[in-house]
Amino acid sequence: MLSLEEYKLANGLRVVLNEDHSAPLVAINLWYHVGSKNERPGRTGFAHLFEHMLFSGSEHVGNNEHFRYVQSVGGVLNGSTFFDRTNYFETLPSNYLALGLWLEADRMGWFVDAITQEKLDIQREVVKEERRQRYDNVPYGTAFERLLHLAYDPEYPYHWPTIGSMEDLEAASLDDVREFFRTWYAPDNCTLTIVGDFAPDEAKRLVEQYFSEIQPRGSFPAFAHQRKPLSHEQRETFASQVQLPRIYRLYHLPKMGEPDWVHADLLTTILASDKASRLDRVLVHEKQIAQDVATYILPTEATGLMLLQATAREGVAIEQIESAIDEEIARLAVSGITDDELTRAKNRAEIEHAHQLETFDARADLIGMMSTYFGDPHKVESWLEPYRAATADDLAHIARKYMIPENRVTSLFVPAGSAA
Amino acid sequence: MSIDRATPPSPTEPRPYHFPHITRTTLPNGLRILVAENHNAPLVSLRALVRSGADHDTAQTAGLASIVADMLDEGAGSRDAIQLAEEVGLLGAALGTGADWDATYVSLDVLSRNAEPSTQIFGDVTARPTLPEDGLERVRAERLNEILQQRNEPASIAGKRFASLLYGNGAYGNSVVGNADSVSRLTIDDVRRFYQQHYIPNHSSVVVSGDVDAQTAIDLVTRALGEWQPGPEPARPVLNTRPIDASRIYVIDRPQAVQSEIRVGHLGVPRSCEDYFPLSVMNAIFGGVFNSRINLNLRERHGYTYGARSQFAFRRQAGPFVVAAPVRNEVTRESVSEMLSELRRIRTGDIEDRELDDTKSYLMGVFPATVQTASDIASRLVDMELYGLPEDYFDRYRENIAAVTKEEITRVANKYLDPDRVLIVIVGSAKAIREPLGGLGLPVHEMDIDGNALPVA
Repeated sequence: MLSLEEYKLANGLRVVLNEDHSAPLVAINLWYHVGSKNERPGRTGFAHLFEHMLFSGSEHVGNNEHFRYVQSVGGVLNGSTFFDRTNYFETLPSNYLALGLWLEADRMGWFVDAITQEKLDIQREVVKEERRQRYDNVPYGTAFERLLHLAYDPEYPYHWPTIGSMEDLEAASLDDVREFFRTWYAPDNCTLTIVGDFAPDEAKRLVEQYFSEIQPRGSFPAFAHQRKPLSHEQRETFASQVQLPRIYRLYHLPKMGEPDWVHADLLTTILASDKASRLDRVLVHEKQIAQDVATYILPTEATGLMLLQATAREGVAIEQIESAIDEEIARLAVSGITDDELTRAKNRAEIEHAHQLETFDARADLIGMMSTYFGDPHKVESWLEPYRAATADDLAHIARKYMIPENRVTSLFVPAGSAA
Repeated sequence: MSIDRATPPSPTEPRPYHFPHITRTTLPNGLRILVAENHNAPLVSLRALVRSGADHDTAQTAGLASIVADMLDEGAGSRDAIQLAEEVGLLGAALGTGADWDATYVSLDVLSRNAEPSTQIFGDVTARPTLPEDGLERVRAERLNEILQQRNEPASIAGKRFASLLYGNGAYGNSVVGNADSVSRLTIDDVRRFYQQHYIPNHSSVVVSGDVDAQTAIDLVTRALGEWQPGPEPARPVLNTRPIDASRIYVIDRPQAVQSEIRVGHLGVPRSCEDYFPLSVMNAIFGGVFNSRINLNLRERHGYTYGARSQFAFRRQAGPFVVAAPVRNEVTRESVSEMLSELRRIRTGDIEDRELDDTKSYLMGVFPATVQTASDIASRLVDMELYGLPEDYFDRYRENIAAVTKEEITRVANKYLDPDRVLIVIVGSAKAIREPLGGLGLPVHEMDIDGNALPVA
């Protein structure tokens, strides 16, 4: 059992402490409840570009000095942005706890006057290179983006990926940066988690000292979008620079944490994880028509999604892969799963959870997620309970209810020149 | 209440860090066992290290070592591949096998309550794989398709061409995964012969880390691998390198590319190099961390790339030294030019005190954060065994880094970096970058992704 202590500062900052002296380290992790789903069409990619800006200095921390302060004492750090949240984190030798809190407080409270057009222009170029490197210059790089376009209507903010479009990145202005900061970056929109080798009283004193004078925002724009259900399957075939055809699927699910989401998470292990999982065994091992298969679900707050992909072996038509997948899903929906399969899936969930709690940084991140999405950091301790309680029929139910044509979108990537 | 925000807070007293105690033993068959207890999480990591890897592949058998590694979980003991995966899953374990240039690895991570039956499976996969013929056909087909897919991956193409230009088709020059011709020709006899020659206990080590007591771990490994038969230790292959007489640019044409994948470098040094510590500090300053010169220059000053870095690939024999970055087409020439000028600058002795202090304290301070898990610790012990590091290596790491001086950095930069004799490999759109690259005044050769020279355009 973890010993978690949770409290709030007067300005609304939620603080979660998890004392653990097994290593002379301290992990500091801030989850701001803002992500690409809070962007508007025309400014896609902004939350992530903003994350880059938050590393480029604040009133008392010079450009690139944030990285220097942390690295020069042996710390590691980064940030990341997704649909629903942005996180910033560092793991430091434990005697530098105050340094980490000072840095995070400075960019939470004293950021907006430190930004310049030059910093924005540089980070805009860096992010455009990130997009080229991860999306545009690699095979299948735009698959997720294409699935999102098919799965969500243009007004719904999961329609675009966190990286955004080149045109929108180009359009982002210094005023946008200021407005975004003033709208979203405030103590009452953040969870600060500290895990590791500290004395709780001292940590509380430091948190109070550095964060308490930052003003709360009071209220934040509500997320008012509703996903429009699909009336029928959305499909496309996309010819690009790939060697082997690949099928990408997205199935809509309830949002993270709902019972069906948990059951779908377990089902992904049964469908595609190791050689004994259904799709691996039949498509890769026995029929040898697929190069690889993968299924996973993402931790999303507004609505849920399951992703499935499979690559055809050279000379195998993607249609053959798709029929084989649908045959296996239909078999599972009708005949259910075995007790052994259920045990293996639960074991995997358990070992993955144990691995996430093993390091201070991953544990702090998980606590931040539970606090941000569910308002309850203690959910990290009870997280596996619904996994343990799941039955074979719960999982077959997912295949029957969600893995059907009217609830999915399909993008077929085929080699350029071979498409009909 | 107002506080002084302009001054960074001072640290408190550092708390000591100790690498876990290592218990060592050697079985009568020559197998070395290392155990590091760590009861923070209910997890155990097992690693087997076989001291042969793709360095034993020849031009004809390129890919063999890694194919043999992939074959280990195609059946072991009395189980076929599917039964093996089922059993591993029922124990809440994750099994992995693989080879790199210097060695082959088997890994098994498991919930500690199932350490005992898992160690038996781990032993079967390492010492009693069935290496079935139909397994080879599955692994071969998968490998050939993987090689095919890599033909569209710019980073993979750049790495392969760079290695091939540096080492020819001997050790370190082929790809670990092999090529379509060599992989197509491999036979089950090749696989079984490689296995018999190299997978022997007196050429191997086993590491156990995590939530298990040392004597139990040794007993479990002894039961699983005590009967493994020793054999004559294989000789290490000779490395053939081709000296670079002058810098040259090789453009591998990828007409649709929107970025140029750049590699600039030459031969590096083996892990056993006496200058390992000054070289590590020098490389960290140059391109080993986010705040390194090359990343601050190309990314933070110019916005040319999402990330630039450099690396000495410290292997058992001399791996390459490489500076790498993907950059947009329009700034390809400028990026190469900045890389070369940073290489020249670090040889001049122009090192700031702050730069040196920051980098050394980073390398000294970051170690505990990189060994938080049972699996991290196991990996460190595997390195220790593979490279023959002394028993007190991790305890003395800090003082070895602390001892590095500015003069030593300048000395090793001059001794091991040679900006006038580099290979410059660029995977990108020849049409977009050809003309500007001409401005660098270096010979430019264009080739296809297989390394065949293209006619001058």
